Amino acid sequence: MTICKIKTLKNNNRMSTQELLQTIYKKIDEGHTEFEIEACGQHDIGGAVKAKKDDASLLFRITNPGQRVGAMAMDGVKIVVEGSAPADIGWLNSGAEIVVKGDGGDTAAHCAAGGKVYVGGRVGTRSGALMKHDPRFEPPQFWVLKNTGSFSFEFMGGGIAVICGYDCDNLDSILGNRSCVGMVGGVVYVRGKVEGLAECVERIPLDKLDKDFLKSGMPEFLKEIERPELEEELLDFSGWTKIIPLPKELKEKKQPVKEFIKNEWFKEGLFGDLVEDNGEVFGLAETGDARLRKPVWDKDLCVSCDLCLKNCPQNAIKKDLANYVSEPEKCIGCGICAAVCPRKAWKMVNN
Amino acid sequence: MCRIGAIKSKKKLHPSIALKLMRSQQEGHDDSGFAFVMQDMGGLFENYKELPLLSMAGTVEGARLAEDILRDVGFTRVMQWSPDIKNKRGLKIEALPIYIFEVLQYPKSYKHATREEKEELLIDTSIRLRKALEENNSGYIYSFWPDTLTLKEIGSPKDIGTYFNLWEENKDLTSSIITAQCRQNTNYDIVRYAAHPFFLEGYTGLVNGENTFYEKNKSYQESLYKGYMGFESDSQCLLYTLHYINKILKWPLRYFKHTITPLSYDEIIKRDDSEVLLRIKSSLANLEVNGPNTFLGVTPQKELICVCDSKKLRPVVIGKTEDTVIMTSEVVGINDLMPDRNREDDIYPNEHETIIVRNDLTVERWQQ
Amino acid sequence: MAAVGINELHKNDLPWILVYDESKCIQCGKCTAVCSFNAIKPAVELRKKSNSITEKNKTEKVLVIKQNVSLENYCRGCGMCANVCPNGAIRLIRNKDDRYSVAYRAIKADSFKKGGRSNLNTEGRTLDKIKIGRISQMTDPSLDAQRHTFELRTPFGRVLKADKLNFDVKDGKIIETTQLPPNRWIYPIIFGDMSIGAVSWRMWEAMAIATAYLNEVMGIPIRMCTGEGGIPTKLLKSRYVKYMILQIASGHFGWNRIIKAMPDMTEDPAGILIKIGQGAKPGDGGLLLASKVAKYVQEIRGVPKADLLSPPTHQGLYSIEESVQKMFLSMNAAFKFKVPVAIKVAASTTSVSVYNNLLRDPYNIVGGFFLDGLAAGTGAAHEISLNHTGHPITSKLRDCYLAAVHQGRQGEIPLFAGGGLGQTGSFAADAFKLICLGANGVFTGKMLMEIAGCVGSDTGRCNACNTGLCPAGIAAQQDCLVKRLDVDKVAQNLVNYILATDIELKKLMAPVGCSTLPVGRSDALITVDKHISNRLDIQYAC
Repeated sequence: MTICKIKTLKNNNRMSTQELLQTIYKKIDEGHTEFEIEACGQHDIGGAVKAKKDDASLLFRITNPGQRVGAMAMDGVKIVVEGSAPADIGWLNSGAEIVVKGDGGDTAAHCAAGGKVYVGGRVGTRSGALMKHDPRFEPPQFWVLKNTGSFSFEFMGGGIAVICGYDCDNLDSILGNRSCVGMVGGVVYVRGKVEGLAECVERIPLDKLDKDFLKSGMPEFLKEIERPELEEELLDFSGWTKIIPLPKELKEKKQPVKEFIKNEWFKEGLFGDLVEDNGEVFGLAETGDARLRKPVWDKDLCVSCDLCLKNCPQNAIKKDLANYVSEPEKCIGCGICAAVCPRKAWKMVNN
Repeated sequence: MCRIGAIKSKKKLHPSIALKLMRSQQEGHDDSGFAFVMQDMGGLFENYKELPLLSMAGTVEGARLAEDILRDVGFTRVMQWSPDIKNKRGLKIEALPIYIFEVLQYPKSYKHATREEKEELLIDTSIRLRKALEENNSGYIYSFWPDTLTLKEIGSPKDIGTYFNLWEENKDLTSSIITAQCRQNTNYDIVRYAAHPFFLEGYTGLVNGENTFYEKNKSYQESLYKGYMGFESDSQCLLYTLHYINKILKWPLRYFKHTITPLSYDEIIKRDDSEVLLRIKSSLANLEVNGPNTFLGVTPQKELICVCDSKKLRPVVIGKTEDTVIMTSEVVGINDLMPDRNREDDIYPNEHETIIVRNDLTVERWQQ
Repeated sequence: MAAVGINELHKNDLPWILVYDESKCIQCGKCTAVCSFNAIKPAVELRKKSNSITEKNKTEKVLVIKQNVSLENYCRGCGMCANVCPNGAIRLIRNKDDRYSVAYRAIKADSFKKGGRSNLNTEGRTLDKIKIGRISQMTDPSLDAQRHTFELRTPFGRVLKADKLNFDVKDGKIIETTQLPPNRWIYPIIFGDMSIGAVSWRMWEAMAIATAYLNEVMGIPIRMCTGEGGIPTKLLKSRYVKYMILQIASGHFGWNRIIKAMPDMTEDPAGILIKIGQGAKPGDGGLLLASKVAKYVQEIRGVPKADLLSPPTHQGLYSIEESVQKMFLSMNAAFKFKVPVAIKVAASTTSVSVYNNLLRDPYNIVGGFFLDGLAAGTGAAHEISLNHTGHPITSKLRDCYLAAVHQGRQGEIPLFAGGGLGQTGSFAADAFKLICLGANGVFTGKMLMEIAGCVGSDTGRCNACNTGLCPAGIAAQQDCLVKRLDVDKVAQNLVNYILATDIELKKLMAPVGCSTLPVGRSDALITVDKHISNRLDIQYAC
């Protein structure tokens, strides 16, 4: 089969996305596997298609595609974009190899869960957001030669991103600001300065496995974006780090208020010089100073019937010779002694 | 959805370039309208740069009404240009009967008037024209200002181009700055006034996006200046704020960004100019813009400006050759028009940036 | 046994009736021990031993728990007895047919006083009829409340119109040329003015700790208004004073110590709040009954143990113009025009005129307008005021905001709204709705008490803040009650509640697509009530 060449602009007449995609479907049905498309901003090129024969693969060479080039692209598909492409390259990529030799727009590799997305320039904000990894398949890979925009890798759940930070000396942060917000899985390898990362991730040095991965993947990436000469520079691991989600227990580290009071607050309390307060907390219906009321005994009225002593639920009343004593450390101030006393020898007074 | 673009060139360009810029971005808009503003005119208008140019469209009655008002104020017609209408069957356009583009001479009594006085007269006359046309639903005035021409219409951009014969380049209708938008508007009824670019006293603004603080902006702007009217679109608020900051308050352009998307308090207090920035944040809190948007604008100094929302939620890219700079929503438009530019020089503005294109086409990037 | 007269107070006249199950009671005495109102007591009852009619009746004495029948020592329904009873032998039921309020007046020839809140909820709450109806989904994407960044800050202090800032431009940069009115960016919730005296020292300290902690540990720039009951000198001289809005009300209590401390203050306070009126009892001054004027309260207020009745107005102020001139000027001057000075008034049909007048203040010294609505709480008030005077907050706040809009001056004097927020359990929603209607922020006192364990309710439970017998130690002043309050825990609970509210506010900001406070974004609101829609100028929905 010959290469299927499609020009989408004739005079001022532009093929719409629908027209182009339907032409592609038709050609695939006819058995075509290789396409050269001179696009004019048409969306979704290379997405959600498979070769007619199961074992065949598809190749798209595209200039000037519109949004979502390679969106929902499948295993056995390769897409090569000669220049830059706008937003959403490789959105929901499930297995294709997508090469953009120029820049990618915003949300590149958004939700990618398989295959590879290679970008030979920069990508925009929210790139790599919601990437995922289904453990039954290989993790998605997302390689970028230069940098990403802010808010990238938001809510990332899995997969591997490699941001090479090439030619980014003038940038304060290779990942822009506030990247990796809500990241719960996967890994982002990044070379160069990173500022303003989300609090829920940590940036740590590479280990041997990481280095092996980069070493094995880098040559292919650089070959595809036609920058093989950069291999040595990019495989100097001195500038690389990786970003992974923090374990849950490290995400919330609040000092309890109690600690703050102990370490920062006034030593004797704010009212220490105004009231007597040692900080003790009274429970409900407790003894001693916590009592609202306490019993007072009047010897002159007492007939020594012992009813108070017998009825006190706290066994707080003692008979000491002819004297009755209520022990503050036992008494809760319930008033039963006063209630049962036939002669009102016990009275409750405010404590 | 809409797609926007701003072109500034050392050459005089025909508006066909705007159609071509938008062509590849077609699936990014809804094919419901096309509008453009030309500034720094060439061609037929080259020799009338100091005189006001009226751009309006309407019914015969509207045209007569406008003429009466202009005569009443004392304006006299100097030159008129009519588009070369190529009506064909099946064109998707809701054309109006009459399109007027005319250069007028100021009233005699304004012979020795200052520029400010003349500008005052133009805005007052614009408001009067707009109100009169609105009253009997007989037309729309888009701009009445020197060296500025505006066309807006409802329909498919491609067909609008065909109807006004804009696909075919010519030397009569040219300018060095063209701003354009595809899509009429909005989530509501189709209203011509709601189509970007918006223009006010030398300031032009286009927005791809939303402004969730529309209600706040609008209720404040209504009291700020008589020219802040209409509010057919939440995007107009951004143009009015640019005008207010730069023209009324006479603040440098960089404070536009500090007004519409002020830095957070925590970011501000780390800075040397925190006092000033906090004042702006407080005093102009009602002009803050929230929600996703990209703003492109032109200033009376004929410089381009581009800013994004604080989360950079909408696309924009800037490409450049020796003699032309293009800002637009998607890179595809630039790829089409400037295939040979150095794409490494493309600029993808970030959430804290203001991009300015100077008259010598140098591009400045200011971090907020 | 004394005869029972029909004109005396009876158990059935009281607002709460004790239900006592003798069979479950083990006579442990905890219920009576814990009752701060002394409303129940152990008592000895005489019982018949048998029901036989053939033999002479034999009686026996048994111990039971009984309710006191007294105008003073009567049950408020606080339920502490039921809380401590190990067997569930005791509980209270509301007496629908009580005649306490009649009896009190008939016997005492005095107006009835209480604390807490109005117990006449006849109107239904406007805020509950408003929903956040403009949800962004496609056009302006919703944000993620937990993970995106939001800024919950609002200006406090006089805001000048941009063209009045006297800015100069030098080398393309703006520079300030004059000293401008103080303006701070604070959290949109203010801990509302409860004085030392109205609340216990422990409660007050817990609020101060929570404020400091939220600022210094959590980065939430919340402010606390001190109320007018003096402030410990220690606090004035500490760094924490920068989180405190000092209040001056008509009693001017505690200002002697504040003035004495001024030379030693290392930080400016967060602001000054001139309290003119209070939403719970507009037109009334402060009321602190003698039972709550503890020794330390006497000391920092400079008064003896007596009922402290503040005058209804500031004695030296005859008009709004004068209040601006005198009070605002002096308070501004006291802190060298570097501290925002705001005013708190009770919502009233006249509030808009007051606000308009202040907006026109030529000296730019009015830094905030606190509007306190009908359902606010109070330490003590005459019941008649609490139940029958006042104005709901919602429409009045809206009126003030729209009055400012009408003049193009919205935001120049920040508006703060309070009064019954969180009454139906939705504090964050109430705050958010008021902000959308034009408030820069809200303030609350009653919520803080509820967080601290207040058992009072809007339907008449407890509400005895005036007595000093608060069973939770919040509005008490005697040791044995105050010390029931665990400062650490209450401070932690206050902190937690604000953290929860912070999340909830973001949960409302996110779906309407706002990363900063939507002050005046009434387009985000809808109501299912046509009248509310008309009155507040928000969309009607059904």
